[in-house]
Amino acid sequence: MNNEVWVVADLKLDGSIRKVTFEAMTEAKNKIAGKLGGQLCGVLIGSGVSGLVSEMGKYGAEKVYVVDNDLLKNYNTEGYTIALSELIKKHEPAVVIAGNTVFGQDYFPRVAARVGAGVTMDAVEIDLTDDKTLRIERFSHSSKAIPTEVFHSHYPMMTTVRPNSFKAVEDPKEPEVIDGGVTINADDIKTKVVEIKTKESDRPELTEAERVVAGGRGLASEENFKHIYELADILGAAAGATRAAVDAGYCPYDMQVGQTGKAVSPNLYIAIAISGSVQHFAGMGSSKVIVAINKDPEAPIFQKCDYGIVGDLFDVLPPFTEKVKALVSEG
Amino acid sequence: MKILAIVSQTQDTEAKIKVSASGDSVDTEGIKWIMNPYDEFAVEEAIQTKEKHGGEVMIVSMGPGRVIESIRQALAMGADSAVHIKDDSFADIDSFAMGKVLAAEIKKLGDYDIIFTGMKIIDEESGQVAVQVAEELGIPHVSLVSKVVEIDPDGKKAVCQKEIDGGHMVVEVPLPCLITCPDAMNEPRYASLPGIMKAKKKPLTEVTLGDIDLGSIGLSEAEMGKEGARVKTVEMKVPQIERKLKIIKGQDEPMVKGAEVEQAAEELIKLLRDEAKVI
Repeated sequence: MNNEVWVVADLKLDGSIRKVTFEAMTEAKNKIAGKLGGQLCGVLIGSGVSGLVSEMGKYGAEKVYVVDNDLLKNYNTEGYTIALSELIKKHEPAVVIAGNTVFGQDYFPRVAARVGAGVTMDAVEIDLTDDKTLRIERFSHSSKAIPTEVFHSHYPMMTTVRPNSFKAVEDPKEPEVIDGGVTINADDIKTKVVEIKTKESDRPELTEAERVVAGGRGLASEENFKHIYELADILGAAAGATRAAVDAGYCPYDMQVGQTGKAVSPNLYIAIAISGSVQHFAGMGSSKVIVAINKDPEAPIFQKCDYGIVGDLFDVLPPFTEKVKALVSEG
Repeated sequence: MKILAIVSQTQDTEAKIKVSASGDSVDTEGIKWIMNPYDEFAVEEAIQTKEKHGGEVMIVSMGPGRVIESIRQALAMGADSAVHIKDDSFADIDSFAMGKVLAAEIKKLGDYDIIFTGMKIIDEESGQVAVQVAEELGIPHVSLVSKVVEIDPDGKKAVCQKEIDGGHMVVEVPLPCLITCPDAMNEPRYASLPGIMKAKKKPLTEVTLGDIDLGSIGLSEAEMGKEGARVKTVEMKVPQIERKLKIIKGQDEPMVKGAEVEQAAEELIKLLRDEAKVI
């Protein structure tokens, strides 16, 4: 084993690197690589990814391992699993980190099983113990508990990290590029992508948005969700919803925030007509500032938010949105 | 078709969470144990698959004696038989060892076509075991399947829709495979009274840790507990986020009305701009 700390780039379907990768790199460099006396390294796995090396260098990678293969286009489980497993076996890093994205959740545990590593998911704190093993904190029990978990006796130590948990800070380096030299055969790919549907939207994605505006069942119709989208767009925010609103058909499942939807951790979470169930808080309780607009003064959300207005959303939202708009246009 | 569903039991997270005296776990005193909600989707999907294509549904479950309640629930929903890998010492087992043990038992069940299980367990909030079982079995997996589009038992393949960030993806996967189930995949049925009666007579096999040849799956005794685990919980905290709780209300009744609405909107914006500095 060497002392290298790897961060595997999470790619969007358009081939760009997700923000969580840079967040993980900054945190891994400050909290782990220094104490371990090892280099921070980037890992690029995908098709046509060689051009992304300088991006990884911008956030402090001293070395970048590259597996660039046409078979990895659009992500597939087996290809990514082979690529990362083979890289780990060959170069024996101490720590391997990726974002807790849909793709990260899919292949990372599989790689850990293949290389015999311990793995934790969705960490919100990463650190090194005095014994130089990885220590992480994450949420459990519907975000009502925070376990601290410590690795030992097996390498590498692998974890995914929750987007928006750390701050990405540029630290330009000229990374050494290392061709992974991993062979992937067409026969290795079992799960074949038949179709990809992405939504054309200028809104940021929920899991990495700095601000989120979310609506509950009180919106009362799909049509009324335009109020949510309007405020979201003015704030440059992602749009979210409760399970009740999704189940009622007001908006699609990919907007669902909560235990059974997405976990988000923005700087600002504006909850409109959301009562604040345990299940919803499991997905957004770690937001830095929570704002609630709800007509029920007894709604649980008023016991666990920072700011709120007791009022009917149809009364309050239009003037609020107008004033926010005026403020934003002032700059 | 032979259809498997892996079912876990979990603490009902509706309950108030307290840290145990040892400080490294959640106090389970008075906690209600339920079938993991995501596994309910898995059992439902397994039963629907059987209803469509024929065959049998077998439940595989790992955990202490209390897990039998969740197994019975799955049988009452319509599963045909169950295997319970039963041991009280599983509390400290990590995902790596759990994946290996589950896979070893599944291998003993002979050929199977498809395995369904929940995308994660709601108390531990860990989602890695399912994927690791697939790896140990050497079969492909598709995670977060929002919809099984088609299963073709003769052509030995399945087509699944999977949610991804910003859209969805349709993938074709050869059988046998493992599928992890998110929310909203289907509507799990309730166990009917006749179903509950019938469940008592359905075959249930108990396997104990002693029946498992750990050496043959590359695990040591120590790796089954806290001492040899690759990852262990050393501390448990309850999050203490202090919220400001600045709630703007109306004068006469809680709801802001009339002219108060404008004022309230103005005041909230001030707080967000000057105090919280988030807009």
